[in-house]
Amino acid sequence: MRAFRTLALAAALAALPALALAAAPTKDGHPDLSGFWDLDARVPRDAPLMKKVSPNTAVLDDTGPTEFPRGEYGGLKLKPAAKAAADAWNPQDDLTVAKVCQPPSIIYAMQGPFPIRIDQGRDIVVIRLQYYDMVRIVFTDGRGHLPASAPHTKVGDSIGHWEGDTLVVDTDHLEPSTITNNGLDHSESVHVVERFRLSPDGRTLLSTQEFEDPQTLDNRGARFIAWRKQDGQFLEPYDCDPSFALNYGAKK
Amino acid sequence: MSARWRLSTLALAAALLAGGAEAHHSFAVFFSADKDVIPLTGTVTEFHFTNPHGIIKIIVQGNGKADQDWSIETNSPSILMRRGWTKDIIKVGEVIKVQGWPARDGSNYMRLRDAARADGTPIGTKPAGTP
Repeated sequence: MRAFRTLALAAALAALPALALAAAPTKDGHPDLSGFWDLDARVPRDAPLMKKVSPNTAVLDDTGPTEFPRGEYGGLKLKPAAKAAADAWNPQDDLTVAKVCQPPSIIYAMQGPFPIRIDQGRDIVVIRLQYYDMVRIVFTDGRGHLPASAPHTKVGDSIGHWEGDTLVVDTDHLEPSTITNNGLDHSESVHVVERFRLSPDGRTLLSTQEFEDPQTLDNRGARFIAWRKQDGQFLEPYDCDPSFALNYGAKK
Repeated sequence: MSARWRLSTLALAAALLAGGAEAHHSFAVFFSADKDVIPLTGTVTEFHFTNPHGIIKIIVQGNGKADQDWSIETNSPSILMRRGWTKDIIKVGEVIKVQGWPARDGSNYMRLRDAARADGTPIGTKPAGTP
């Protein structure tokens, strides 16, 4: 009997390294989100993250390849001016040499079916998107947002902090850009909160993106976005070619 | 099932088969996911493998009528590269077979679903879940 128990203990101890390998990696006392991540729209919504989504929020069902047709906004309640602008939107106007290579803001870009790469340091987290070669820097050193007079950009100004196993990223200073790629744009006053956490095995990056823009919307919007880790891969350059617009009859 | 929901579902199905990758413009706005994909066989005259979308230009034999010039828009090359595509995978002068969704405006323009050599050999690999 004693021999059996000894064998069982030895087997359990032998399994420990494997269990440790399967656990999510950590860095500086936090989960390490670093790595190459490929978007996977089939990942079920993560219950702990979804519980954090604010009340009066429409969770959009357009993550990844899905796109809403014209006139559908997934439950977002548009202010009259935003609705009028979306109704008047002519998609052909976006397909010009001048515009076709302008990136959207991170609100639309993060949910696109493209990989991202994260490099996590103690005081900053760098999120690079293959989509339009966008680079986000999230400061986690405790600083506040830029002054109101600072320029607005497509990546905005991001500051982050950890809440347990979750990196919470707060972004403002975004340039107006599309929300749903069908005529609905957010204003420069939009405010975004993203939450990122790893699955228990560290192979899936789970996130929610929540945004509020009282100039444009009467409610909030959110998306659940997830990526699968892929080892040994690198981001390809996007190098957008504006001559693509000529295929849509754009004038040179 | 409401018409809106059905349209949304069709657009989703088409986008999934196409592998998504609306780099900038909306698939649902420009292409007819609610129509059948159409097959074409033609001789390649141009192949551009650049983002936001690649373009293959072909001449389709008219078989007694006038030949037709077609432009076929591909998924983002960034994504196609992960399916084995390269900037040289299609050569000018070769005959290819393509299937895709026609443009809503009725022009000779389509969004590629899949492509094959003249003998039927697939060009690149299809996205997961594609028949």
